[in-house]
Amino acid sequence: MRFLIIAASLIFFACIGNAFVITRISSERDMLRQREGIGIVIPAAVAKIAALEFKGIFADIIFARTMTYYGGKVIRKEKLTEDEWNWIYRNADLATDMDPYFLDPYYMGAMNLAWEAGKVKEANILLEKASRYRDWDWTLFFYLGFNYFYFLQDNEKAAYYLMEGAKRPGSIALLPTLAARLAYQGKKTENSIIFLQAILTKTEDKSLRWIYERRLNALKAILFLERAVAIYQDRFKKQPTNIDELIAKGILSEIPQDPYGGKFYLDKDGSIKTTSELR
Amino acid sequence: MTQIWSVALITFKEGIKSRVLFGIFIIALLLFAATTVVITLFMRDIVKVAVDLSLSTVSFAGLLALLFIGVNLFGKDLDKRTIYMVISRPVSRAQYLVGKFFGIILLIFVVTTFLGALSTIPVIMGKRFYYYTEVRFDWWIFLIAVLYIFIKLAIVSSIITLFASFTSNSFIALVLSLVTYIIGQSTESVRLLLVSTVEKIEVSPALSYMVDIAYYIFPNMAAFDLKTQAAHGLAIGPVYMIWTILYAIFYMTIAVAVGTLAFRRREFP
Repeated sequence: MRFLIIAASLIFFACIGNAFVITRISSERDMLRQREGIGIVIPAAVAKIAALEFKGIFADIIFARTMTYYGGKVIRKEKLTEDEWNWIYRNADLATDMDPYFLDPYYMGAMNLAWEAGKVKEANILLEKASRYRDWDWTLFFYLGFNYFYFLQDNEKAAYYLMEGAKRPGSIALLPTLAARLAYQGKKTENSIIFLQAILTKTEDKSLRWIYERRLNALKAILFLERAVAIYQDRFKKQPTNIDELIAKGILSEIPQDPYGGKFYLDKDGSIKTTSELR
Repeated sequence: MTQIWSVALITFKEGIKSRVLFGIFIIALLLFAATTVVITLFMRDIVKVAVDLSLSTVSFAGLLALLFIGVNLFGKDLDKRTIYMVISRPVSRAQYLVGKFFGIILLIFVVTTFLGALSTIPVIMGKRFYYYTEVRFDWWIFLIAVLYIFIKLAIVSSIITLFASFTSNSFIALVLSLVTYIIGQSTESVRLLLVSTVEKIEVSPALSYMVDIAYYIFPNMAAFDLKTQAAHGLAIGPVYMIWTILYAIFYMTIAVAVGTLAFRRREFP
């Protein structure tokens, strides 16, 4: 009986101690992990051999780990450094080496690398790899076309990828039209708006939608101002010297807000720019 | 034939009664349950992750069952001296070994069928949870991938039969089988790595010769790994299936035949 009491009390206290200690450990681990930062990226050749038959899972784990790291940074509202973005790119590359059909790393490459890190070149490398393997998936061609058009100002390549995308099953009817429009130089703002609206129809993720909608609203404001400038030119046969002139002459009642927090202004070449540079 | 069948049936019954099997099923169930949680972490290719995880679970659990139960089914008769009972009956040593092999195959068939059926649950859930229209998936390919997991495990069974036929200790047989499995999984990748010039690694001719020899001696397990195909609904041609199944049959025949030769000459303690 005495043994039973001693044993039971021992178990009881050890359980309490355990529960207390584990909370301390998790906070200590948090601190340790933050200092660990990003890690090395295993070379794909080694990983392919080491993963045996579990290459698919390996790709999943690498990608999940990358996203968790990125997500943690976003939640803590910290900006990612250049090194961290490179690490994310290399991990996405590794995950898609392990499973070249895995959509998520490509998708993340197309979105986060191009839009947030400004790494359009890397995003396009991923997307081009994707288009070699997932050759039935029109969305990858679509994103590639968009990157070429919007970030790299290469209408020819953009039109090529859009047409390639249009050949794939299930693609939206808009692609051929868009490709045709890109053949004309100019009308960049309008084309961008059409592009973004098309992307939005395929995007469900809330944070990504927010990125696109913000850009879309900015572009709509720019288009609005561009049209006002055109009306001004029509009416007075000259360029306005600044944006406020549009209000002074009664063409606009107010200047729209820049969703990025900047102020719109009229550049020397007559185009509408913003002090935020859409960033 | 009846002798082989009766040994196979006894082996199967003994294996299915094993408590280890129960533990392996619990591990598999936990992994399947984890799959349904883990897939929610991903954005679009949720069905792919579900297929990856559930097929890997089937494969892993099957491998555990083989290494812990399959190897023991051979070892027990020798360790407990029950082998004398069998040998004194009108069963030849070759029949005994082949019967054991088929018994283990039967066991593995039941295990893969059961786990394969369970593995559809996370996939069905993944499909209902979020199905992105550009995702390709085909139940037939999934089924073929499960079948190939069975074929791969059958090859591992033949290797276990081979090693159990001449090693004195079931632990050594286990280690040798495990090593063969690992080498068999990686020979193809290593060979590709050596051939590719992209990686810019200098390879001595002796090394690539050795790798080539290993490629022909050890079973090429990578040929039976169709998880990627199942995960992305990539078509598998009938020609591929014919050659790989033929390869499996030939390899198993060689392993079991060599095993029987070694077993015939074996002295029992």
